[in-house]
Amino acid sequence: MIAEMREVLQSVLGTALDGEPHLLAGGASKEAWAVDAGGERLLVRRAAVGVIHRHTLSLADEYGVLEAAHGAGVKVPRPIAYIPDLDGREAFVMERLDGETIGRRIVRMEGVPPQLPTQMADELARIHAIPRDRVPFLHEARLERMVEEFDEVGEPHPAVELGLWWLREHRPPPREPVVVHGDYRIGNLVVRAGDGLVGVLDWEFAHVDEPVRDLAFSLVRAWRFGVPEKRLGGIGDAEPYVERYNELTGFDVRADEVDYWEVAGNVGWAIGCLTQMQRHLSGRDRSVELAVLGRLGAEVEYEILHLLEQKGVT
Amino acid sequence: MSERPTAAELAEAILEFLGGEILPTVTDRRLRFRTLVAMNALSIVYRELEKLPPEDDAAQRALAARIRAGDVPPGALAEVKRDVAERLRIASPRYLETYAEAASE
Repeated sequence: MIAEMREVLQSVLGTALDGEPHLLAGGASKEAWAVDAGGERLLVRRAAVGVIHRHTLSLADEYGVLEAAHGAGVKVPRPIAYIPDLDGREAFVMERLDGETIGRRIVRMEGVPPQLPTQMADELARIHAIPRDRVPFLHEARLERMVEEFDEVGEPHPAVELGLWWLREHRPPPREPVVVHGDYRIGNLVVRAGDGLVGVLDWEFAHVDEPVRDLAFSLVRAWRFGVPEKRLGGIGDAEPYVERYNELTGFDVRADEVDYWEVAGNVGWAIGCLTQMQRHLSGRDRSVELAVLGRLGAEVEYEILHLLEQKGVT
Repeated sequence: MSERPTAAELAEAILEFLGGEILPTVTDRRLRFRTLVAMNALSIVYRELEKLPPEDDAAQRALAARIRAGDVPPGALAEVKRDVAERLRIASPRYLETYAEAASE
């Protein structure tokens, strides 16, 4: 397989590979191969075998989003080539950025770069300014979709119901939908000690949506990687991040809107845990990791109730 | 309170993992034997759990349906939070310690 991959890559890149491609760890739905060619450090993102995801982009569309983001000046790995058939599966090649990508390690970095929270706001403001006509294949998402996914699981979860009820009762006036990353959190960034944020990764959930939903996603407690007292992804306070975002976009996002979408992010992830569990129980994708998420969702449910309590629900 | 995956379903998942992914990689004969013994023990746990009557989730379903209809009973949040904390004491006991409030509960 490596030989075939080598051949296709060399013809696409128009240069010989330096050494063998090697498979990097992690990624259940996509493979990541490190490849060096023509003195450049590259990463090949390739579909994994047998994984079918609803509500995620094909690699062709993900590559299109990456190109649009790059064109809009968002810090992303430079897109290099889309390959419809790389040894039987679709793939694309991009620059391989140097830096830390594991959330748990980023929050524990020797002196998390102090500029990281404002850099996160800078990049998000650029993402939200990507013209929709540059990515016409992206769909608009509705908050209601998570209710449908929840109902498909069919298990009673009063904590999730309370979260959904509160979201129905307190929905802020809608904002003009924008292009969103869809999974904007510490674990999807490349961070370097001196430079801070050098790249935004994992665009497979990109869609068109409420901007504040995207803004508040990085506040979800599950993505604070064991540093819960720092509301912004375990690395800092939310206020400087939101303030900077407001300065750049002029959106004038209010604190209660951020709170609302933080609850929504938690409810979405509580439901996400159940749908992942369902992949296992249905036999589609048998795995202990997916199974155990069904139980760990209780952590997210507890957080939903904690947030609602702070909002005065009894 | 019902909970998925059930304990039996979790035991089954671990059995599949051990048999499908771990056992084929174990070449040491003694370790291979001990792995088979452990899988056999786990399959006893699995069968024992499987025989348990399914837990009654009628109250959970009724409460969930009531909240969905917009009729949130007074005190619902506190009650549900106690239930979730109970589940967490099984699923992830240390998580509760990350909340200052829960330490005193």
